[in-house]
Amino acid sequence: MVESGAKRTPLNDWHRAHGASMAIFGGYDMPLWYTAGAKAEHLAVINGCGMFDTSHMAVLRLTGPDIHEFLQWCFSRDLERCVGRQKAPLTPGRAVYGVFLNEAGGVVDDVILFQTEPDVYLAVVNAGMGAHATHHVLNYIDTCEDSCNVLISDLTDKVGKIDLQGPLAGLVMREVLADPGRVLDAMPYFSFKGSLYGSPTDRIGDVRLKDGTPVLLSRSGYTGEFGFEVFVEPGKLVGAWEVIFEAGQRYGLLPCGLAARDSLRAGAVLPLSHQDNGNWRYIENPWSVALPYNDDGTAFTKDFLGRRALESSPPSYFTRPFAGFDMRKIAPAIAPPVVVDSAGKVIGIVLTCVTDMGIDRVDGAIVSIASPERPDGFVPRGLCCGFVKVNRWLPAGERIVLRGAKREIPVVITDDIRPGRTARKSMETMLSYTQTPQGRTT
Amino acid sequence: MKGLGELHIPGDTFYSDDHEWAKKAGDLIRVGISDFAQDQMGDIVYVELPGIGTHHDAGVEFGVVESVKTVSDCLMPIAGEVVAVNAALDGSPGLVNESPYADGWMMDVKPDDPGCLDALMDEAAYRVFLEKG
Repeated sequence: MVESGAKRTPLNDWHRAHGASMAIFGGYDMPLWYTAGAKAEHLAVINGCGMFDTSHMAVLRLTGPDIHEFLQWCFSRDLERCVGRQKAPLTPGRAVYGVFLNEAGGVVDDVILFQTEPDVYLAVVNAGMGAHATHHVLNYIDTCEDSCNVLISDLTDKVGKIDLQGPLAGLVMREVLADPGRVLDAMPYFSFKGSLYGSPTDRIGDVRLKDGTPVLLSRSGYTGEFGFEVFVEPGKLVGAWEVIFEAGQRYGLLPCGLAARDSLRAGAVLPLSHQDNGNWRYIENPWSVALPYNDDGTAFTKDFLGRRALESSPPSYFTRPFAGFDMRKIAPAIAPPVVVDSAGKVIGIVLTCVTDMGIDRVDGAIVSIASPERPDGFVPRGLCCGFVKVNRWLPAGERIVLRGAKREIPVVITDDIRPGRTARKSMETMLSYTQTPQGRTT
Repeated sequence: MKGLGELHIPGDTFYSDDHEWAKKAGDLIRVGISDFAQDQMGDIVYVELPGIGTHHDAGVEFGVVESVKTVSDCLMPIAGEVVAVNAALDGSPGLVNESPYADGWMMDVKPDDPGCLDALMDEAAYRVFLEKG
């Protein structure tokens, strides 16, 4: 049964045929988990590989002679200084994470911006946000200096997307690509090759699956683990999914739902837009990389929409990651759970609280099933983790209590959560990954 | 999510409208959560059970079941005193998913009223209750 009004991705029948538990998210009828369960899916992505239907994400296409100046104004990254440690300019074949802010410094949505050609960009925003984000950016054309010649198209439901994630993702991808040696060579984190329609004018190479399906293949994702986002036109999505799914079977690949996606991203200190960011000033949070800071973090390198609000006064709120001491979490109720400091004072609210089932504490320190230093026979019970929004800066190590309607949970502020993540490892390292999955507890 | 036809609903067991089950075990009543409840919740990561010797009225919270997705209260299907709890759930909460009516049982209760099961739904009534959604 699909609830009336919910949209479906082209994979909806596949999900149901494979026993997925479904729920509405962002206006789409999406899998929460399949028959293996969210815990097995979460662990597969840390130790092996998993694939997610992420076709609910919306995509904008931005082009026009003035698009660079326009994005410099309404997107939070400085496109002249954003790639790698050297802070090189964005070039075709590179992607960056940032946000669209409003004048008050609040978040319209978070974005991964792909430069496909010198004056063409794809902006991946969140489910259901295509029209909203388009409306927002178009609104600000008027605030550009002089005339602003840009064309913005909302590609909502015109792009299919598969996230193949986990340390074995490279080995699976190598089996399904038409020319894997060329494609996977020189492909650092947040770079991409190919295009949705296999356009011959494309400057960043052609990427095809073995059956000829053109894809845009990006080394990115939302799990903190090594892997790819595969963009494909919707009519070819099911075929591409099945090809990857089949090739993945010998690597233990599991189809994964939104529950595992949520717990993986939280453990990787990645925000869920509109939950971990929102209509408060986007500053003093774990995602300062999204802002155009100079090298020592003391000033911004460009002017941009929302900047004045960010600089206008000291921050009112601070967003900090936390981790607990066992798997118990605090459930969101009608009112959000609150944060209580050691003096018993309520100082904020809980934004995200999930259980990362791949980690546990060993002698107080967080250890993952992927940590090289994990003890023999390490079987994690999971740790509660997520983000709090509080009214003063809390240093790592400070203990707080999360208080819900019925229970209180002690947790500790931390700078990072799940150790041993693979997202940034080199392609070379990951293509030689031979570790057999360990630590599976199901 | 399992379809109605795939749900296991044993015939010798009685059900509350909060999806706990209760069944006779000698003089005691054994209590757990139904296949429907565990299927809705997804992977269960933690089960909090009451202290032995505590007394609870029908309909009040006796424990908490926590899944990857949510934290849910468990409500007493009957009134009585807890005389035993399933200690295996401490280390293996997933037993509630794998075997909700057998290895995933939660507690044995000495009922205030030995006829208390009459107030609950039998298999047929519970099936109708689930069909109505």
